[in-house]
Amino acid sequence: MNKQPITSRVHLPILIATAIILLVVVPVLHRCGIISDFTLGNWGKYLCYGILAISIDLLWGYTGLLCLGQALFFTLGGYMMGMYLMRSIGGKAMPTFLSMRGFTEWPSFFLPFSSFPFAMLMMVVVPGLLALGFGFLAFRSRIKGVYFSILTQALTYGAALLFFRNEMLMGGNNGFTDFRTLLGFDLRDIGTKRSLYIATALLLIGVVALCKWLTGSRFGLIQRAIRDSENRVLFSGYATANYKLFVFVISAVIASFAGALFVPQVGIINPSEMDTSKSLEAVVWVALGGRGTIIGPVLGAISVNALKSWASSGATADFWPMILGGSFVLVVLFMPKGIVGLPAQIQGVLARLKKKKEEEEIPAISEKSPATDP
Amino acid sequence: MIQESPMHQKPFLLAAEGLTRSFDGFKAINDLNFYLDEGELRTVIGPNGAGKTTFLDLITGRTKPDVGSLKWDDGKHDLLKMNEYEIYRLGIGRKFQTPTVYNDHTVTENLVLSLAGSRGIWHSLFGKITSQQKDRIAEILKIIKLSDSAYRKAGILAHGQKQWLEIGMLLAQEARLLLVDEPAAGMTDEETYRTGELLLSLAGKHTIIVIEHDMTFVRQISQGRKVTVLHQGHVLCEGPVDQVQSDERVIEVYLGRKSKAA
Amino acid sequence: MLKDFITTLTSQIFSLMLIGFVSSSACFAEVKEKFIRETIASATVAATPDEQREIILTLKLKPTPEAVTWFEKWKSGEIFLHDDGAGVITPVVLTGTADGDDSFATAKLSDGTPCLSADGKVVRINPKTVDFAETDSGLRRAMKEVSDLVALADPDLTNRLRAIKESAIGQKIEKLPVLQLLRTKEKNAAAIRALDETIAIIQLRSTDPAERVAACRKLGEIQSLSAYDTVKTILAESKAKGDKPMVDAAGEALKSIDSHISRINAAGTAFRGLSLGSVLLVVAIGLAITFGLMGVINMAHGEFIAVGAYTTYVIQNFFANGLKLSPFGVSMSLPGLHLTHGADSYFIVALPASFLIAALVGVALERSVIQFLYKRPLESLLATWGISLVMQQILKFIFGSNNVQVSSPAWLSGSWTINDVQFVWNRVFVIGFAVVIIVITWLVLNKTSLGLLIRAVMQNRNMAACMGVRTERVNTMTFGFGCGLAGLAGAFLSQMANVGPSMGQLYIVDSFMTVVVGGVGNIMGTVISALGIGMSDQTFQQYLGNPVIGKILVLGAIILFLQWRPAGLFVTRSRSLD
Repeated sequence: MNKQPITSRVHLPILIATAIILLVVVPVLHRCGIISDFTLGNWGKYLCYGILAISIDLLWGYTGLLCLGQALFFTLGGYMMGMYLMRSIGGKAMPTFLSMRGFTEWPSFFLPFSSFPFAMLMMVVVPGLLALGFGFLAFRSRIKGVYFSILTQALTYGAALLFFRNEMLMGGNNGFTDFRTLLGFDLRDIGTKRSLYIATALLLIGVVALCKWLTGSRFGLIQRAIRDSENRVLFSGYATANYKLFVFVISAVIASFAGALFVPQVGIINPSEMDTSKSLEAVVWVALGGRGTIIGPVLGAISVNALKSWASSGATADFWPMILGGSFVLVVLFMPKGIVGLPAQIQGVLARLKKKKEEEEIPAISEKSPATDP
Repeated sequence: MIQESPMHQKPFLLAAEGLTRSFDGFKAINDLNFYLDEGELRTVIGPNGAGKTTFLDLITGRTKPDVGSLKWDDGKHDLLKMNEYEIYRLGIGRKFQTPTVYNDHTVTENLVLSLAGSRGIWHSLFGKITSQQKDRIAEILKIIKLSDSAYRKAGILAHGQKQWLEIGMLLAQEARLLLVDEPAAGMTDEETYRTGELLLSLAGKHTIIVIEHDMTFVRQISQGRKVTVLHQGHVLCEGPVDQVQSDERVIEVYLGRKSKAA
Repeated sequence: MLKDFITTLTSQIFSLMLIGFVSSSACFAEVKEKFIRETIASATVAATPDEQREIILTLKLKPTPEAVTWFEKWKSGEIFLHDDGAGVITPVVLTGTADGDDSFATAKLSDGTPCLSADGKVVRINPKTVDFAETDSGLRRAMKEVSDLVALADPDLTNRLRAIKESAIGQKIEKLPVLQLLRTKEKNAAAIRALDETIAIIQLRSTDPAERVAACRKLGEIQSLSAYDTVKTILAESKAKGDKPMVDAAGEALKSIDSHISRINAAGTAFRGLSLGSVLLVVAIGLAITFGLMGVINMAHGEFIAVGAYTTYVIQNFFANGLKLSPFGVSMSLPGLHLTHGADSYFIVALPASFLIAALVGVALERSVIQFLYKRPLESLLATWGISLVMQQILKFIFGSNNVQVSSPAWLSGSWTINDVQFVWNRVFVIGFAVVIIVITWLVLNKTSLGLLIRAVMQNRNMAACMGVRTERVNTMTFGFGCGLAGLAGAFLSQMANVGPSMGQLYIVDSFMTVVVGGVGNIMGTVISALGIGMSDQTFQQYLGNPVIGKILVLGAIILFLQWRPAGLFVTRSRSLD
């Protein structure tokens, strides 16, 4: 029993090395001017997407729940951060979306957002409660599989409709933008940007560690058991609905934090981020990287987005959706385990080819013999 | 119709009365009355479509009856008001007809998931496996003869081994009532015999309901114990296997061909 | 005395009027025409504005459309006052075309003959230098009075109704006699009702209290919508004055009208709900086949709708002037038939064409991708989403990223009004189309051998395969059929919504919701759920007055509904595990 088999192929030293590179080497190189501000900004975004991808994988890869609402939780976190950033712009003038509707004072629900700890609390509470309520209803009535996907898609769609309305007082179409400071630091300052990048890297490493622990515990066993055969888990005495709810809420909060860190780095948050196609795109990252692994989704998120920023400029821009869509079809058809599973898959194919060759050789001899006999 | 005698003194572990369950007009279970004592090893036989598996579904909460009552432990619990995992936690474990194990988990992990103990999230995150539990798992592995495959994935086990693993999971659960649905299906004669031995060794410590087709196996495990014959969702007759096999009605609906062949 | 006099006068006017319209005698018309021209000519040169007005008002004796035409010319400055230098002023109109110095030949307003100068030459004037006849507000009011009378007797029912309704504005008592006279002659039921309504509205201002109360009762009785605000005002005024009988009458009238309004609203909501439900049904029915029956989460469903819509677009252009496209930089052109007659009938051809094209694309997709994913529904979701991106992009390359114009037949824009409830033609068309599609689908599934095979394979693929059914072919055909239905939906939507490369995205969430609520694998469930969702959407919208909130509520209601019935309205029960 003390010889627990190694389930993950990624070894600890590699993880630690990656962490050091992300956390120390990249910022130092940036400081020395080897990595440009633009590149650092891009990587900050990629890492946020990586966190979002992990949150999807925790649900889909490990628990079998394909949630098409992760973009919603991501955006909600972003909005919470956005509310804080709007409040810390300072000055007497109201932002346009409020002054346009005749407000001369901040609406009361904006007021507590001048406190950063409160905003952080809300990043947990708002998406968490939404996931709790929706998940409770969905899992209680045993909505699963495709139905869950479609319902989360509808939830996201509904929320986007709501946020597009100016009456929501959340900026309507345009959302929040023109942020100035975060915790008193100027957002345009290079130092602040680097700090934001480091914070993102830290969060990513923390989330990876959390998920490693979560999936390595008995909880992880139950999670995967639910994915493979939920009915059997019920007949092993586990209240599967509670387990699913727990994972759903955790992954909503993770996505929310990713969104919260994303917003100050890109400087804008608006409801178009809530589009279901955003959720689906994030699912692509996970599928491409390799679901059911911790590192796969991060790899997928980074590689797709790096490819995207390379391909969506210049001559290939028009073709980007086709490349994305097409590669998605190919991945689903031919790489069910994603990039992470590719080495094993290639090995398998090679082994099969070898075996086939050997098999072919044997009948080849036996075929010859009757030909030479007469 | 053989009913439980009113003279019966001991409290029933499981008492089903007037159970009826229909699927789109077809009555899979029809006014079923069934009583089980603590420590009994009861074999349930019956032709295809007699409602054997549906009966287990009703006990374990997989489906709910249209009418009837289903009480546990001398009427202390109403099983009809409970869902699957609550019923499981009363100590009712089930081995499914087709072996249902976690294919992607190792044999040990399958047993760990079935170990008796808390089923809460907190426990699953922070609970440690005690050395006692480790010993228990090692013991069960020995009983089900899977010690060599402890760290293999359950999905690659042979059909018979999966059946045994599932029985092992019932053992790990320390269930009071084991519901064993066709344990001998797909096993060699030798494996079947060993399964029978295993069930016999458990009788007394656990209460067991075995559903089976294989009459040799039924004879092996019943050994004068009570056998229940189901027909069209209804108890046709109950009694020792010899008595049942010579019952006219049973011969007519089910055993007739078999006894002639024998 | 005075009243009697007016009545006699107006009855004379009216008989004249009637004769004027009913008679088609050319001679009579000529006389009339001459009379009108002369009258107007004399009016333009009358000495004072008061005189002008009086002359115009005499035209009330002969209220003809020609008079209105001349009024319009007068008002827009097309009548010029030619001064011959000797103090004689002749009203003239311009004829012919301008010559080199921008001057025109003129004709006398009074009889249409050329205006000659003393030396017998046709007078030419430059409109920029010569004064035109002007009008003041009093004169224009007089003209309006005459025009109103003309309109009231207009032979065209729509115009007549409009004029009758307009004459209620201002509640002018002096209009009553004419209206009452018209009422006695009117034959058309709608016009009679409009007249009653207008008369009653005006009578609300009558000096006779009994007449006022009676008018109020009448309005309540005919449940006049247009009198609603007026009656409300009267109620407030009467309350202030303490006019008890009037308060009662007005109160009752309002109540009656209110109940009528709520009935109209309910009927309107039900109709709009039915038509929205039909749209949902049409867009979802293809998905009910591919997702509901086959279990393929076809996220590209919307793009098949777009394929159908673009097919319609191409066919339309083929019937008209052809189409030039440049997909992937290759320029292509489609010749057109240049049909002038029957170009509207392109839709008849477009329907089967859009079905076929979408079905063919569907078959290609099934063979290349979907067939490998039957056992992996969640992955079919992902793969088809990828395909939807590719398809959108291909459509963009071929047709450009802007919306294209698909014209819908003119008759779709009309409407029926029955008892104040408006039935817009295109909504009626929507409902009819949905019925047709459902009938076709039902026939295919239940009355053809393909349908039998489809049902067999969908219920149990393995069993059907064992029975010798070529399940692969059935799968392909079924998927193609579902996609073809989506294409039909596209042809249909092209008639009422924008056609663009991403149009499909608008319908995808709604389609899935409809199928999920209806219960997978049951066409009847889809029908009921589409109508249910459509109805509740419109009802929420009616009571909340906000489409977005209504839509969100519908989504919420669907989630709650699935609490009650997790597998949708109709469940196919089975005993098999999972």
